[in-house]
Formats: sequence, C-alpha cells, structure tokens
Amino acid sequence: MQPYDERQDRDCRRNSITAKRAQWLTLPAALALVVAACATPPAAPAQPQVPAATAPPAAAEATQPPAAPQPSGKFTYWGGLIFSDVANQMLVDKITEWGKARGIEVDVVMINQNETQQKVSAAVEAGTMPDALDMGTGLMQLLAKNGQLEPLDDVFKQIGEAHGGWLESAAKSVDPARYGGSVWGIPFGLSGNLINRRHDLLSAKGFNEAPKTWEELGQMAEAVNDPPKVYGMGFALSNVGDGNLTVTMLQTWGGRIADDQGKNCTIDSPETRTFMEWITGLYKKGLFPPGVTTWDGAGDNQAYQAGQAAFIANPGSVYLNLRDNDPELLAATRFSGLPAGPKLQLQPYGPNVRAIPVTSRYKDLAKDLLMYLADDEFMKEYYANAIYGPVLNSQVDFPVFKASPIHVGLLDVAKNGTPPAFPDVDNPAYAEFNANFLIPKMIQRVVVDNVSIEDAIKETQAACQAIYDKYK
Amino acid sequence: MLMARPATLQSPVRASRISLSKRTSLLGYALVAPVVICLLILVVYPFIFGVTISFTNREIGTEGQFVGLANFIYLSKVPSFQKAIVNTIVLVGTVQTMKLVFGLGIALLLNQAIRARQFWRGLILLPWAMPAFVAYLTWKLLYLPQGGAFNIIAVGLGFGNIDFLSRELAMPSVILATFWRGFPFWVISFLAALQSVPQEQYEAAAIDGANAWQRFRHITIPGILPVVLVVVLLSTIWTTNSFENVWLITQGGPSDATMTFPVLAYFGLQTLRIGEAAAVSVAMLPVFVMMAFIGVKLLERNQE
Amino acid sequence: MLHKLSPSQKVLAYACLVLLAILILFPIYYMLTVSLKTNRDIYRVPSLLLPNPTLMNYVELLGRRGFAVNMRNSLIVAGSATVISVFISCLAAYSLVRLRYRGRTWIGRLILFSYLTPASLLFIPLAVIINRLQMGNTLHGLIFTYLTFAAPLSTWLLMGFFRNVPVDLEEQAMVDGATRLQALFRILLPVAAPGLVAVSVFTFTGAWNELLLALIFTTSPEIRTVPVALQYLITGDVFRWGLIMAGAVVAAVPVMTLYYLSQRFVVQGLAAGAVKT
Repeated sequence: MQPYDERQDRDCRRNSITAKRAQWLTLPAALALVVAACATPPAAPAQPQVPAATAPPAAAEATQPPAAPQPSGKFTYWGGLIFSDVANQMLVDKITEWGKARGIEVDVVMINQNETQQKVSAAVEAGTMPDALDMGTGLMQLLAKNGQLEPLDDVFKQIGEAHGGWLESAAKSVDPARYGGSVWGIPFGLSGNLINRRHDLLSAKGFNEAPKTWEELGQMAEAVNDPPKVYGMGFALSNVGDGNLTVTMLQTWGGRIADDQGKNCTIDSPETRTFMEWITGLYKKGLFPPGVTTWDGAGDNQAYQAGQAAFIANPGSVYLNLRDNDPELLAATRFSGLPAGPKLQLQPYGPNVRAIPVTSRYKDLAKDLLMYLADDEFMKEYYANAIYGPVLNSQVDFPVFKASPIHVGLLDVAKNGTPPAFPDVDNPAYAEFNANFLIPKMIQRVVVDNVSIEDAIKETQAACQAIYDKYK
Repeated sequence: MLMARPATLQSPVRASRISLSKRTSLLGYALVAPVVICLLILVVYPFIFGVTISFTNREIGTEGQFVGLANFIYLSKVPSFQKAIVNTIVLVGTVQTMKLVFGLGIALLLNQAIRARQFWRGLILLPWAMPAFVAYLTWKLLYLPQGGAFNIIAVGLGFGNIDFLSRELAMPSVILATFWRGFPFWVISFLAALQSVPQEQYEAAAIDGANAWQRFRHITIPGILPVVLVVVLLSTIWTTNSFENVWLITQGGPSDATMTFPVLAYFGLQTLRIGEAAAVSVAMLPVFVMMAFIGVKLLERNQE
Repeated sequence: MLHKLSPSQKVLAYACLVLLAILILFPIYYMLTVSLKTNRDIYRVPSLLLPNPTLMNYVELLGRRGFAVNMRNSLIVAGSATVISVFISCLAAYSLVRLRYRGRTWIGRLILFSYLTPASLLFIPLAVIINRLQMGNTLHGLIFTYLTFAAPLSTWLLMGFFRNVPVDLEEQAMVDGATRLQALFRILLPVAAPGLVAVSVFTFTGAWNELLLALIFTTSPEIRTVPVALQYLITGDVFRWGLIMAGAVVAAVPVMTLYYLSQRFVVQGLAAGAVKT
C-alpha cells in the first residue's frame, strides 16, 4: 500500500482525478483508500482517525500529542452559558481582562450547556479542544478516564491555600481517591435543587413550614391540589435531567442503583417497591400536572411560573425569572432544601468545574487563569448573579449568601449537601445509567403503560445490569 | 488502461471514433469529479469511519478495540431499541401516507379554477419555509399542558385540560406536527406534476366519455407517478432522519411511546461511547438501503 | 385539468381551503402573538389573543443580541453553499445524463446513497476532516460541510431535469461547432432555468435551516448562523419563548420572501421535470 499513498496524496492536492485513476473510483474499496489518503496529511499527528483495526494501541494516546497547528495564537476558553446574562458577561469580561494583563489575546466563547457533550465529543476527536473550559463532573470523569484532561492537583492545592481551604463538599466532588488518582477539575460553584413552594396556597391550608419529609410533602401537595388550576407535585417524570431527581428520592427510601462496589445493580429491592408505591400512588391521585412524563428541562419552570404547580425542585432559574418578571409570585414563594425519605436525607450538590484538556497549548497560562478566576472580589459579584453555592471557605461570608433566599439555600447545600450519586458509587456505569433515565422510565412504565410495579422493577433491573456489565 | 481495451476491441476500425469516445469519457469524469470528490471526503469516508467504529468499543478520546457484534447485541437487548424500530416505522409510515393523501388532495384542489391561486400556493409553502427546529418548538408550545394554545381551546370548549403528550396522544401529536412541517413540499411538487399532464389527454378522454374517476385513474395517476415516486423517496429520507420533531416535543417519551432511531442515537452520544452510538445509526442503515434500492429500481423502470 | 366547478363543488372547495388555511396559519399566528408578549404574560396570562402587545422581544433580539449578524452569516453560508452546490451539480448532472462512460451508473447511485446517510453517523468524522482541512470554526468550513446534503440533492434533481430537455438542441449546436461545455452553458442551462431556480431554492432552504452541523462546527459567536443563535436562546432549563419566537419570525422572513419571489419558477421548474427523474 505504501507506494500508492504518495501518488494519491499528490492527486488530492491537485484536486483533480485523471480519467485513468477515476475508473477504479467505482470500486468501493478504492474509494476508502483515496479518501483516507486525502484526509490524512503527510505528517499526520498521532490523532485518533484511522479506523481502529489498523490503529496503534491506545497507549500512544496518553503521550503528549504534538502541538496542534496554530491558526491563531489566541488563548481559547469555553465558558458554560447559564441562564443569567449578567453572569455570562462577567466571566467573559474577567477572562478578557486577564488576557490583557498577561499580554495574550483571548477568545472566550460561551457554550450552551445543552450542547457541551456533543461539542466536546467532536472537539476531542478533531483535536480542537479549547485551552481551558467549564464542565460538570460527569463529563470531567469520562474525559479523565480516557486521558483527556490535565491533572490539576497543584492548582487545586494553591487555590485552597489562598482562600482558607476548600469546602468539604467541593473537595469531595473532585477527590482523587474517588476519581482516578488526580484532581481533574477546579470547582467554581455548586448547583443544587431546592424545593420552591407556593407559600400562599399552603399557608391557607395551615402549612406554614417547609415539608420535612417527602411523604409530608406529598400530603401537603394533596391538600392544595386543585386541578386544573393547581397541581401539587410539579416534579418531572420524563427523560431529562430533572427527571433524575427521582433517583435521589429512591435513594432516600433506602433504594440503591448498585452495590457498594458499583458493579452490580440492586434496583430490585423492597425499598424500591415501597418508593414506587408511594410515587405512583400520588400520580394516580392526580397530583402531578398533565405532561410531567414528557416535560423537557423547562417543564417545571413553566408550570410554576404559570401558577399551576405548588411544589417544584429547581436550581434557581425560576427564582431569577420571578425576580425579574413576576415579583408577586416571588413574594408567594418559599425555598427549602430537599426533604428526607424514610431512610435518608439527601441533598446532592452538582459541582461545576473548570478543566484543562491535555491538548491545551498554554497549560501554564491556563492554570494561571484558573487561579485568577478564583479571586474573591470577582466571585462575590459573580455569585450574586449566577445561581451557585460556594466552594471555598473565603466565599462563605459573601453578602449574597445571606441576602437572597435561594443563595441561603445553596450555602446550606454546600455546607450540608451530599456528594453526587451518594450513597451509590459515582462511576461511568452510574453516569450511563442516569443518561438513559431508567428510573423516570421505570415510573413511566407504571403510570403511563399500566405495567405492574413488580414488572417495571424487573425490567429496569435487567436494563441497568446490562449497562453495568459493559463496565466490568 | 483497463478502459482503453474494451473500447479498442469494440471499434477497431476508425481511430477518430476511439479518441472521441475517449475524450467524452475524460470530459465526463472531469465534470463529475468535483461532486464525487466532495462526497468522497464528506460522506463516503465519514461513513466508512462510522461503520467501522460501530464494531468497536471506542469512546471519545480512545481508539477502542474491535468487539465484533457486541454493540448490536447490547442494543438488541435495550427495550428502547425495540420500541424505536416499531415507532420509527409507525411514525414514518403514517406521516408519509397522510402527506400522500392530503398532499394529492390539496394539489388537485389547487389545480382547479379557484381564485387567487398564487396566494394559496404561497400560503401552503409557509410551514416549509421555517427552520424545522423553530417549527417543532412552536408545536411544543401549542401542545403544552400548561398554557398551551390547544389546551386553552380545549378548556374554552369545555373539554377540560387534555394531555396531548400522553401515551395515547403523543404519537399522533408528533405525527401531526411532522405532517404540518412536511406536506408543503408534496403539494407543490404534485401541483407541478399535475400541470405538466397534457390538457389534450383530458379532452380526448372526455370526448371518449370517460368520467372524472376514469380520467383520474388513467390519465392523472400515470402522468404524475414519476413525481410521486421521487417525492416519496426524498421525503421518506428526510422524515426518517428527522430528529427535532420527536426530540423537541417529547424526548421520545412518555415511556418510549415516541422513541425513534435518531433520538436513540442522540442518547447514545451522551455517554461519549461513540462506537455504540454509531451502532444505533448503522442498525437503521439496512432500512435505508432497502428503501433506496426500491426507489432506484422503480425510478429506473419508469425512465424506460 | 382546469375546468369550471359547479356552485356546490365551489363551496366545498373553498371550505376545504379555509380549513387548510386555519391548519397552516394557526401555529404561525400563535408564534407571532407569543413574540409580541412579555415573559410574564406568556406564563401568567395564557391567551390566544394579545392583551398587551409589545415589541420588546424584537428590540432585544435585533439590538442587544445582534441578530443581524446571525442573519448575515446565514445568508453568506446558505447563499454560497447554494451557488457552489448548484454549479458543481450542473456539471455532474450534465456529465451523468449526457455523456457515456464507464462507472456512470455507479456514480449516480453513489450520489443518491450519500444522501441517505444519517447526520448522526457523520458528524464526528466530519469534524475530524474539517479540522484537518483547517476549516474548523469558519464560515467556509460550514459551507463546505453543507455540500454533504446539498450536492447530492442538487445533482439528483438536476439529472432528472436535464433528462427531460430534448437533446436535439445541443446536438444541433455542436454540429455548428460548439463544444460540449458551450452546449451546456449556452443551450441547456437557459432552457433549464426554472429548474435551476427550483433546485437553488431547495438547497438554500436546506442550508438556511440546518442546525446540527452548524452547532458542532462553529463555535465563535460572530459566526453563528440563525438556527444556532436561536438554539442559544435556550439556556439550561430556561426557554425564552418570546425571544425565540421573535427570532423565528425574523428568520422565516428571508426564506418566505425567496419563495414568494420565486414560486412561479419553482412550480414551473418542477413541472418541467425537475422532480421527474
């Protein structure tokens, strides 16, 4: 094959195919050859591109890839676009300011978080990852596992020392012992779901306090349920991230996705059955608004903002929206942490981190940037607009964590919350299980398809095991 | 050189003839080359790549190893996959039948002597002129159980709140939205085809005493059949590959009632396991290849 | 088959048309009303009517969010992709229809089959290729990738069209000394003009509306196309319905204008055989 390669390559560069050569273009095999030759420049870097069968072993991947071609010397940063325009702009301005101070041109692009997964997938394969970027710990874990991220233990330590230490929650979310031996991302904010409730409706029925348990929440929801005007339970049971709150609920009932080794599924349990009876019972009583089984991420926001849901779980976007558009409804709203189940109280925090890809052309500068962004003065302003809980001890006393009800709640999540997946093991199999929304689907099987609870659990157990088996 | 031989064998008499046919071939290849090169780079190579990795356990950032049919075996066990097969067939089959029946009906109607035909034609094209993403978001807004337009109407008419995305209604709702966005192409193509059927044939048939049905059956249908075939083929490709219609309205729910192949492939990509995600797309290829073969055969027969 | 309808048939025909108009226009009407509402009204006062119309969404879209830049990008991308695709497709279609050579049938099939491949299978390898060609995150890279769907469709439609133009005219011209290419450009294409318009309109629409590839192959805000910009109005779990619908209305205007201006040619072109492969 070797002697052909060069000729084909020349042809491609001339961008013409002679008639003679073209005759055998009709043979599919030849097609593959020509194109493969065209698409691979003479000095091809060791990038994944050749079909796997002929590829060098994966070990080559872990070594430093050769410097990517530099169309421009710009330092690129991908920020995660969040629902606050002000916070988005602040991040852009801050990084631009840093670039000026360091004398490097920066290109800060805010990436829609709904598309991060696809963009990162394509960018890793094409070798076009930015020099640093924001992500969630789920993606961080997957990329780190495949050797795509730069270890950041030193940066993590330095930032911690400069700011009175990391909060335990933040430290746990990137704990080297849990996630493959190194710190792969620098936390910059913890998200968490808080219960938003209609205090006006609830207090009219004599409920002035936040529900302590999920069962209590269910009873309160039943008391104010008044369809079609108001439904008690505005919780998504659909195939979107919000639907996975039901995983947390299940865990508070004592149910578990998998065993302590994170190897075998344990969904089929008496705890799961009790939980399923509770939640499907409430559904059958008509406490859930119509459509919860197909809600997208905005379903609960819309139901609540339309005044049609008494309880929702939301990371703060509803608060922001009410603050800016609907002060009356905001006045009627109270925020609280997630209630306890019969066995456990869980309040998972969702860490957001900044990471540096192994392909970054400016690793030292990128690390410098991460330290620059941890600046207290900046974060004080930033938190006031973005809806996150703190990650560092120096941030705990920022005024915003006393001023706004949602931030008070998030501070509590940061101090007392539970790590993602807890008490289950946070591993790639668990992540894939969640990405397939098998718990919301298990509930859908019962409330939508009228399958018995028993059968729904059996099916889900089997589907779950099939996923976990792939990671053994 | 392979080429030259048969040419020489076939016409050994006149040298100029050979060079002419050779020159024609050369020109032929040269003219078709830009498109072929583009497609080799942009479609054939990525396609081979995709099919290859569907037999590996490749994840983003790794090479992956050959795992044979493991991805397909895993998929065949996933309940959503089985539902996706049925749903894709139901969705595409129903939508295409609706488009055919209503498309033809509307085209026949617009082909009559009605007022302001230009206006009606322009009107028909509106849904097609809209980005699919926007069109389906609008339908999502119409179906919303809380404050959606259809529910405002349902409540106003005294039916109470209806969940248009429930198990029974989700598929019909997706079908209606998909139909709305896709039917203009059919109407306009059929209209064009109807206008190309020679008027004299109808007149001749009318003199022979053929009634309206007979004229439709024996003149209109054969006259527009080639167009119908092409439109069915093109539109079926578009509809089968369509992702936004399901994703934006139901995410494949409730309980997989609207799960289709493109949505399943999308879910597959969320875990960075691109080998497995590619397998979902590859699994639907046989259907496409079959469709294409039938389409090509019918078309080729028609050309003769 | 234009013929006079009886009065009762007429009533029936117009009744059908009115129903049809409602089916088509109702979603569009709703879209318009939402684009003219405030965020609060959309949720709190769900209504088919417009109690407090406001242009706020349009002002924000075209002002602060600079939607005009996205429109310009889309025009550049869709326009260039159309011109390039239609040009190379003319050559290819002519070659495949009028010239006889080996492998012709197979090339024709390759073109049809490449139209069948699902984008979900292609996008990662495409990203690799586009980057190798140094076209990542650029408008011309996007234009190039749009040929994946534009070139097969244009070629295929044009083939059908050329086939229906009698070959005599070109043969006559060539007897008079014209070359093949002159025959193509001077004789065939002018006759085929309405078909070219139809094919261009389809290609333009496809490129104007494309979302998935644009989302992945462009990153910088200043080169985002209209569908990407609209997608970026959905942040996390917040749908800015008012803005999105205002964007949808603005985005639909160019394509609708195009259709309005060209519909006569489109219908003529299709009628003359563009889809009659």
